[in-house]
Amino acid sequence: MPALTSADVSEVSAPLPDFRGSRRLVGKEEWFWYLAAAISYIVLGIWHKWLLNWFVGPAWLVVFIVVGPWLTDRIGLTSRGISAAADVEEAGQ
Amino acid sequence: MSWAAHQFEIYAVQAHLPKKMRGKVSFWAIFLGDFTPDFLSKFWVYGFTINGTRYGSEVPHQWHRGFPGMGFTHTLFFGAILTLLIWSWKKNRAFTIGYILGYAAHALTDINDSVGVLLLFPLLTLNFTSNTWAYAATIDGGKYLDAAAYYSSLGLVMDVLWLVVVLFSWRVLTRDHWRTQVVPADARIWAWFGRWLPERGLIALYRATFFYGLCRMISWSAWARLFADPEKYGEFGVTSRGFPMDLSWTGPYWLEARSLPSVNPWLAYPVALTLLATLYIVISKLWEPMGRKDAARRALNAKESASTDA
Repeated sequence: MPALTSADVSEVSAPLPDFRGSRRLVGKEEWFWYLAAAISYIVLGIWHKWLLNWFVGPAWLVVFIVVGPWLTDRIGLTSRGISAAADVEEAGQ
Repeated sequence: MSWAAHQFEIYAVQAHLPKKMRGKVSFWAIFLGDFTPDFLSKFWVYGFTINGTRYGSEVPHQWHRGFPGMGFTHTLFFGAILTLLIWSWKKNRAFTIGYILGYAAHALTDINDSVGVLLLFPLLTLNFTSNTWAYAATIDGGKYLDAAAYYSSLGLVMDVLWLVVVLFSWRVLTRDHWRTQVVPADARIWAWFGRWLPERGLIALYRATFFYGLCRMISWSAWARLFADPEKYGEFGVTSRGFPMDLSWTGPYWLEARSLPSVNPWLAYPVALTLLATLYIVISKLWEPMGRKDAARRALNAKESASTDA
């Protein structure tokens, strides 16, 4: 009788896509995009005060989070593999 | 006035809802309630200039918080009127309760600057203020001097305090909280945004006000401390770059704190806390009856749409 073993971590699949079929952000990749949005907005905001308002601030974050991963996927810098790795990492914590 | 505190308090309210209200109070209503007082009054405080002509209030603090002026927009009385209108229009408990909670958070936080708010309007047309930091919106200094004064005083401490409150309740910013507590109370609004945004965008939209508050706090503080040229905004006796920090009461020392006729500052917090407690008791008492009305309205709507379909 073959021994029952747990699945190899390499077999862990990426998180299921959301209701639109878009990629979910998890783990380090999510932190990366939020930090990138924050640092760029803070630094630019110091010299361009018109950016610091109710509309641009929230829009800045949403655009970064929606467009950023889509763009890096399109040019091949990231893939669903990143999400799977982040998931494995989170599961291990 | 308060700056990023108004962004953080939305999440603080969301995180500290009474147990029976969790997952049943609209986040967007809290946001809108918190946004309304300044939305109605602040556009004219700093004013704007077109072709060399300035349009705006002659006495910004009187306009913003005084009576006569738009000070009534920062009162629980006016917040309650708007809330009643919302309730009578939609009979939506989640939105109505969220709106008054957001509105109250804004009005009560603003007692801390040197102008304060008309807490007991219309019974009393005197402001309630704790004089914690200087109100600094002026015609000449505009938004820049206002920010410099706020982020050089205990105003910065107030922002950080609200930030700490939210960070201690960090779960309010998680995907899980958004999915289980925020979306169910505002399902139709999130579904509408979901027509254009993926899930990661919806979560970013939920976190966006926190993001904006945190970033503007850091950005304005860095500018005020390190990069601003005080001489550009008036005579403050400061020769170095950056405005001096002053955490003394009603600071900063280098600016004259604006004020309006007010009651004894020692009354500000007790009255504000009494109003908050009263509000809590009232909404707790009304929660169940409002829920029954809300359910009846939904049943009627469902019945009407079913008969229309038939």
